[in-house]
Amino acid sequence: MMPGSLRAACVAVLRRDLLLAWRRRGDIALPVLYALIVTTLFPFALGPNDDLLARVAGGVVLVTVLLAMLLAFDALFRPDLEDGSLEQLMLAPQPLALLLGMKILAHWVSTALPLIVIAPILASMLHLPAHANAVLVLALLVATPLLSLLGSVLVALTAGTRRSGMLLALMLLPLCVPVVIFAAGAVSAAQEGLPWIAPIAWLGAALALMLILAPLACAAALRIAIDA
Amino acid sequence: MKWIPLWMHQLSSPPTFYRFASVLRPWCIALALILTAVGLYGGLVTAPADYQQGDAFRIIYIHVPSAEMSLFIYGVMAVAGFIAVVWRLKLAESVAMQSAPIGAAFTFITLVTGSIWGYPTWGTWWTWDARLTSELVLLFLYLGVIGLYHAFEDRRQGARAAAFLVLVGVINLPIVHYSVQWWHTLHQGTTVRLFGPSKMEADMLWPLLVMMLASKFYWAASLCGRVRTDLLSLESGKQWVRALAEREGR
Repeated sequence: MMPGSLRAACVAVLRRDLLLAWRRRGDIALPVLYALIVTTLFPFALGPNDDLLARVAGGVVLVTVLLAMLLAFDALFRPDLEDGSLEQLMLAPQPLALLLGMKILAHWVSTALPLIVIAPILASMLHLPAHANAVLVLALLVATPLLSLLGSVLVALTAGTRRSGMLLALMLLPLCVPVVIFAAGAVSAAQEGLPWIAPIAWLGAALALMLILAPLACAAALRIAIDA
Repeated sequence: MKWIPLWMHQLSSPPTFYRFASVLRPWCIALALILTAVGLYGGLVTAPADYQQGDAFRIIYIHVPSAEMSLFIYGVMAVAGFIAVVWRLKLAESVAMQSAPIGAAFTFITLVTGSIWGYPTWGTWWTWDARLTSELVLLFLYLGVIGLYHAFEDRRQGARAAAFLVLVGVINLPIVHYSVQWWHTLHQGTTVRLFGPSKMEADMLWPLLVMMLASKFYWAASLCGRVRTDLLSLESGKQWVRALAEREGR
């Protein structure tokens, strides 16, 4: 691998981000803990009725994972923006979209993957049946990268601003409505014993499209937001 | 026909647009007021009551024009936003950003009147129907654009970032609409069509069309006023603003 080549640059970005995430393992645990706490609160609010909990379990876990990801989005560009390495990436001769794609991948691995691991446990705490639980994990495996990609564009837009927490939630909501509809649709179809592959296939199609478009849009947004 | 691009080019300069908007605005206000008076008279007095909904249907003369405006203004914002992102034209940034609060207001009116209309006819204030949900998402889009615009310290940079968000929303809005439709629907289908026969009596239809036209003029007047003040503050250090302030200011 030639130093300075496209592949070397991508590997370097990916390796650096994963290493940084690994060095701060405590930060990885926080979204997981958050998801656990939110899910634990639902039985207290709705009452310990097993049938009711089983009916809402899929939706609750999906929304919880989404919110946990939303909280973690701020860390996608903020540290790099503060120490100046994001500007270096923008100045690099390699295409910015590709490097950002690597950053998004690393972010997905370090925040969404632990959430996907814990999701079936949370769902079974709410008595989601086992076969629907498998569909939930499958839906999350397709929906969370999609959310990461969509969210990265918005995080890039807010990168130059001081406060972005609530604003990001407001901006993300319209984008994640279809994702939630299809992912929750698959889980509830599986729960009722109906065919559930169609919504997952739609999510997969959207993911394939976004894998190409989102890094490009993210790069364009970042160039607008950090316009020195 | 060379004068059209030349005229457009001149109009895009802030001082020229400022003068143009000053001339246009009173006419738009006058037309909007007259058309609203005519449309409301037609809608509330001369149009017959609906055979099913009685007089409750008359809220359509506010609801449908606002709903149409909420989408129309988003379209205008998208075109202006595209120009702002690609060519970085100051006027386009201003038009896109000053359209957002007007559009948000029309969207809010649509939701409120729809809810008031829904209670006597559907028996509920709110339902998670496809069109209602898409309209609510549209309101969130507008609010997101306004919020992002104000989050930046540099206003022109904020305008460009928010314009980019508008473009993302343009792609997203049809997806939201169809996915929600797939999910659940109760709202009636299209009644008024531009092409082909409408499914509405002429007596009921003409006030609606007049109201739609009136809301366009109101929007034009409001936008002229907003863009004028915005240009003044954006260009506050420039010569033409100073000359204007010396001539008119006290």
